[in-house]
Order: sequence, then C-alpha cells, then structure tokens
Amino acid sequence: MKINYLDLTNFLSEKPSKEELSQKLFQLGHEHEIHGDIFDMELTPNRGDCLSLIGLARDLAVFFGKSNSIELFNDDIEPLEIDFENLSSKDCPKISFLEIEIEDSKVEYKAYLENYFNTIGGNKANLFTDISNYISYELGQPTHCFDRKVIKNKLIFENKKCNAIFKTLLGSEVSLKDRNCVFSSNSEIISLAGVMGGASTACSFNTKKVLVECAYFNPESIIGKSIKYNLVSDAAHKFERGVDIASQEMVLRRFTKIVQDHAKIKSIKFKSFAEEALKNINIPIDVNKINKILGTSLKNDEYLRHLKGLGFHISDEIKVPSYRHDIETNNDLAEEIARVIGYNNIKSTPINLQKIAYNNHDGKAAKLESFLVNNGFSEVINFPFTPNKEKESINIDNPLDSNRNNLRISLKDSLIDNLLYNERRQKDSIKLFEISDIYTKDEVIKQQKKLGLIISGRQGHNYNDFSKKLDRNYLNNLLNENHDIDIFEIVEISRSSLNTKKKDKIFYVEATIEDIPMSFFSKLSTQQRFIDFIKYKPISEYPSSARDFSFVIEDVQVVHEILEMLDNISDEIIKDSFLFDYYKDDKRKIIKLGYRFIFQSHLKTLSDSEINKKVNEILSPILEIDGISIPGM
Amino acid sequence: MSNLDNINLPSISKELGSLHPINQIKDHLLKLLADIGFEEVHGPEIETEKFNFDMLNIKKSHPARQMHDTFYAEGKKNVLRTHTSPVQIRSMLESKPPIAFTSAGKVYRKDDDATHLPMFHQVEGIYVDENVTFANLKHLIHQILHELFGNNVEIRFRPSYFPFTEPSAEVDILSESGKWLEILGCGVVNPIVLENCNIDSNKYSGLAFGLGVERIAMLKYGVNDIREFYKSNLDFLAQFK
Repeated sequence: MKINYLDLTNFLSEKPSKEELSQKLFQLGHEHEIHGDIFDMELTPNRGDCLSLIGLARDLAVFFGKSNSIELFNDDIEPLEIDFENLSSKDCPKISFLEIEIEDSKVEYKAYLENYFNTIGGNKANLFTDISNYISYELGQPTHCFDRKVIKNKLIFENKKCNAIFKTLLGSEVSLKDRNCVFSSNSEIISLAGVMGGASTACSFNTKKVLVECAYFNPESIIGKSIKYNLVSDAAHKFERGVDIASQEMVLRRFTKIVQDHAKIKSIKFKSFAEEALKNINIPIDVNKINKILGTSLKNDEYLRHLKGLGFHISDEIKVPSYRHDIETNNDLAEEIARVIGYNNIKSTPINLQKIAYNNHDGKAAKLESFLVNNGFSEVINFPFTPNKEKESINIDNPLDSNRNNLRISLKDSLIDNLLYNERRQKDSIKLFEISDIYTKDEVIKQQKKLGLIISGRQGHNYNDFSKKLDRNYLNNLLNENHDIDIFEIVEISRSSLNTKKKDKIFYVEATIEDIPMSFFSKLSTQQRFIDFIKYKPISEYPSSARDFSFVIEDVQVVHEILEMLDNISDEIIKDSFLFDYYKDDKRKIIKLGYRFIFQSHLKTLSDSEINKKVNEILSPILEIDGISIPGM
Repeated sequence: MSNLDNINLPSISKELGSLHPINQIKDHLLKLLADIGFEEVHGPEIETEKFNFDMLNIKKSHPARQMHDTFYAEGKKNVLRTHTSPVQIRSMLESKPPIAFTSAGKVYRKDDDATHLPMFHQVEGIYVDENVTFANLKHLIHQILHELFGNNVEIRFRPSYFPFTEPSAEVDILSESGKWLEILGCGVVNPIVLENCNIDSNKYSGLAFGLGVERIAMLKYGVNDIREFYKSNLDFLAQFK
C-alpha cells in the first residue's frame, strides 16, 4: 500500500521528518520502502486497520500525537427507504447505504483529491467512484457506488451457489463458480461482494444519483475470491484483513462531505442495517501480567499512557477499539507495549538450560553418510514431485506443475536425473547418494527413510583408478564385502530409455535404512563432523575441455620435481588437473606420466587456440628441463 | 643410470565426496542448539491441517491456508507441512514442561521463483517453562546469532506477526555491505497454542524461533542463488568438502 508522506503528516500533530517517520514505522513493525514522498508499506496481515492514512496515523499518534483533520458532513440526513434484504448476515453483519443526488457531475477536483490521483490514485473514473477510492485510502473502508437509476428492483445480499458469467466494472468477464457472496437485483448478480462491482450498475461520468454501499464482510467470506477470479482488488485486500465495523456512518458522512466539496447536493438519504449489537472486547488492567510476558518492570501509569497513545480507551478495564481485530488478550497488549517501548530497548535476560549431548553422528543414516562421503560419494537433495503415479503414490491436489502431481516413492529417478545432469557437464566419474524420507499410502500414510545411490564412469581420477570403471564389482566390494549375505541389491540401469549417448554402465542401489542389518553398521565408524564455512566460488556453465599430455622422463630422479611443478600449476581457466597414468618402463629405464588438464572459463566457451596458447605457457618451463619430452609435441 | 625401484610412487590422495551443504548447516544449527540445551524431536512431512494449522492458531481465513500457498494432498485430507512447527505440537502433546525442543527438516510452500523454492529446510526451537519472557527470547536469539555470525554482529528486532506467537518478532542482522538482512522469526508462544497442547498457560509460558536453513547457508557460504543448492551439480557440491 502506497501512502503519501505529506498526506500522512496531516493527521499527526507533530510533523516528523521522513527519516523520523520511517524509523518509528519500523519500530512499530510497519516495513516500507521510501520513493520520494511515497512510502510503500508492507503491513503484516493482522494489521488491516493500518491500511489507510487514518490507520497508520492512529498507530503513529503514540509518538507524534494526532490531529483531527477529517471534516465530516454533520447535518441531519434523511432516512433512506430502500428495498434491501440481507440473506446472510453471518457474512455481512452490518451494512449501510447512502443515496446522494447532485446537480452536476462535471466538476473540477479540489487540490486534495486531484493530488491523490496525481501521486498514487492512478486513473480517474467518475466523481463518485473517485471519491470512493479516495475514502478507502484515507479511512481504510472500501465503499461501492451503484448507479441509482439502474437499480429498480429489490437489492439482495446473499451467499449463494453461482454458475454465471459476471462482467466487472473494469470490463473483464469472470465465470463465478461455487459459493460466493454477491449482491443481486432482479435475479442478476450486480456485484461480487467485497471484491468488485459489476459493469451493469457501475457509475459513469454522467451519474448524478448514486447508491453508496458500505459494509463489513467477514474476512472468511471474502478470502481467496480475488485470487480465484484473478481480480486485483484493493477492497478485497482490506475486507480480507477486517475493516472497522463501527465506522460506517462516519465513512458515509465523510463521503457526503467530499461530494459537498465538489458539487451541489440535491438530496441525501442514509440507512444502516445491523444484525447484532457491536461486541466490545475489554481486557482487565494488569500491568504485572504484561511485565511477566515481556520480562520488563513497567509501571502502571506508563502502561496505560502507552495504550491511550495507541487509541485504547481506559476505564476500569481496557477497551479495545473496534478496528483492532488483532487484540484479544494480554499477550496482544504486551506486543503493543513492546512496540511502543521498542523491541530493541527491552533488556535481555538469560535462560537457564543445560547443554545436552548431540548424538546425530551415531545414527544409522549419519553412519551411512560418513561412510559414503569417505568413499567419494556426494550427497544430493531433490524435490519429491514426480509425474510417475503408482498405486501407493501420494497425490498432490494443487501441484505447481500439473505433470508433477505425485510424491516420489523411490529415489531412483531423481538420482538418474542428477547423474545425467552431471554427465552433460563433462563429469566422467560420478558417485551420488541421497537419503530422504519417502511417503506412501496404503490404509494410512507410511514413512520410510531411504538411501539411494548411483554410480557411473571412472572409479577415480588418480592413476590407479582412472582406467577402472565404476561397476557392479565396485559396489559389491564397497557394500557387500565381508558380509555373509548380500545386504544391498545392485541393479543396472539401462541407458536405452535415457536421453544420453554415453556408454558407461549405470548401477543403482536403494535400501530402506531400517531394513539394513545392524551387522552392516557395526563395521562403520562414528565420525565427528566439523563444518568449514568455505567461501563459495560461483561455478561456470560453459563447457569444459580436457587436454591429456604424456610425458616421457628419461632422468627418473626428477620425476617428483616434475610432478610437483605440474601439481602447482594454477590458472584462471584451469579448472582441474591430475596425474591419471604412471608407468615405469623397466626395460627402457624411463617413466611415463599421463597428466590431464581441464580447461573452463567463467566468461565464455574457450577456443582451441586459447587453450593451446595456455598449454604452451604452462608446459614450456617443464619441457626446458633435461630429459623430459612429450612425444609428438 | 638410476634404479627405477628406488623411485617412490607418486602419492594418491583419497578422493572424498561431500555432505550436502544444506544438511551441513542444518546439523551445525542442531548441534549449536543442543549445546544450549535443546533436544531434537522428529515428525512427519505429510501432515494434517489440524497439526499444521489449527493447533498453531492459524485460522481458516489465514492466507497461508489458501490453495495457492500450501500444497494439499489426497483430496485435502493432508498437507505437505509448511513449517516444522507441527513436530513441536506433536512433541508437546506427549510431554510436560519444562521442555526445550528443536525440530528440523524439509518444509513445502507453493512457491517457485528466483528467491523461493517449493521445498526448503527449517530449524525451529521451542522452550516452555515457568516465567519464560520476551527478554529471555532476546537473550537466546542473541546467543544463537553470536554463535553463528560472531560476537560483533549487529542484531535488530522488528515487530511481526505469526499466529502462534504473541508478541512476534523478525530479526535482522547487519551485513558487511551495510544492509539489514532478515534472518529469523521468533516470539513468545501464544498461550492459545500452549492450551491446545494441554499446557496450563497461567503457569507456563514459552518462546519459539524458526530459522531458514537455506538463508543461513547462503549467507555463510556466499551463495547468491538459492536454486544452486538443488541442481546437484558436482562442481557446486564438491566445494563443500
């Protein structure tokens, strides 16, 4: 909600600077951004009462005092005779109508109204609708203006099952479904209550006689409608958060006053329909309770002064203002007091708790995690939404993506996706695992913690493992060796249905952790974990390129010196480098080294010539050493 | 000529994998809270509206309960929990104060954009005893944030709104670039919630807080895009060894 700083300070007796105002708004919990004179407020959903100039001013008055600058029409108003029936007072416990007729609707706007449309009000429509919008900004109460001469029959408010096309006053057509609160006349829906009026009864530039409807709708009756029908509605935003049920006559007298400021009034009539008397909320005065909640030592007179500053009436009890739907208990009052004192000014006091042992490291899952990480596996976390529907899948009623409306019952597909994602990024040795709760339904919902792991490609990048493939044997040695039975079932995943040209075999294991025998865990160690808050380096999305070099070393004494030189090479575009082959030729008394460099830039796809240039640069100092050569280079 | 047998083989360092950074941070938070005295409790991710909303004083009209904010499952019989608070409710129903619980894990909201994911992680804590106050909450939050971000970190409390706490606060820390960053939500447990869990709110009071694990991870590691955590890119994961 946007508020003009100059408008807001009109309602305050002191005139704080923008900075002072901003600081106090934050202290009260009203977040905002400032653009010039405009404060763009982001209010918490419990503070619907602050969605207006007067609302914010009521809160700020505790710091800056309030100034009564709202002019009302104070003369007597004739009673309105209106054929109206409220068929659902549960949804609308109070509603008032004002009928005004003016002589001429073509008027020039006074500065305050003109200014509102120039700064935040947007496009003008017609006098009555424009006043309605301004009043909502000023007082927080939405009103709706019907063109009086169009409504010839009985007006009905009802909560009814609809199946109709409704054309809004902004011209869009919505298809009303299920139950909605509506106003109808002559069997036609003329307004989607609390959200938007209809085109057929909307005011126009020429409207001279208007019926202004001013209601309190229960938030529950309005909530969700504007989103359901995709209608942007300031009124709905306010009704959903609760408006002031006691302000209707005041609002309509203000409406009348603004009309009077602009046009000659021919007639005014007013009628209010209330189903029940206003329920006042009173809370006993108990400053000790407040101090007990906050941990403060506030005195009673200070307490009451703060509450009065916020607009509470104090007699032998604390009377909660009708617009404060969020206040019912002493805890609510404690928050009011804390806001006035300032959360940051309340002293802190330690609690007395005893340290307890954190034993997350010796659970089954934690042992598995440490074991797999030690063996080169990386943990992944995936979203559970999947297109695959099985009998036991839990179905999502309202998925983000209608194709993914089931919860996964296995980790397999997620891990296959993760594997292919990394293969597309030139990864040639992939070992991944995920541990996650899996939910399935039978008669009840069942929860199982599962382990999934997937492998493909080389066993590793070092010269022992480089030419060995991750295969069934590898997993058997890792998981099933030294156990009497095969604990884990290893399955090969066919590439035929996967979108990939790679040939390396894929193996997968899934197990329910509870079902893994204790004998497996007894062989695993408990590892204390330490976190290292590294500074993350953004990764590149450009392709990488590998270059292999085969060094022939005739003076074998320098082999470690060479390796050290190679290992120490670093450059912005060298992502990784490693010794993948080490071969002693006893007959020729030479050593051959296979060394791979992987090039990747953060800025672009590297060209061959750029890579070759870098290769020359990094290898030439090494090739200057006697007895080293790269055959063919 | 040298004898090749005298040349040592080049050393091979073990190629380690890594735990997911989100789980590392989650563990770190749980350990930090255990050191203060909070015990971890567990509960399901598939919840009912009763435990996810009603017991927490989240009324039917609250926006969080709308279909556009919450994933409903099985013909509205269930919800994917939108926070880990229902775990605390379930645990409170089974115990008597004094209690100090943490709950941690995956939570779901119907969001998917550059800064929000449909699934993320929370660590929440609740402490209920006689005479627990807002002043206690402030002290505890300072303690947690000092452990996480150092003793010199600047901390700011702002009034906020959660149906299950009253008073409620959001807490910001001052970043190196001079911007206030929202880091957690907290408050004095709403007495209605205590009563819902059969705890006498005249005798006992409580404090509660909730941290977003991804948010802490982004700040601690300097990751700017939350989506990086869920791409499963080995180049990313390998940095968190």
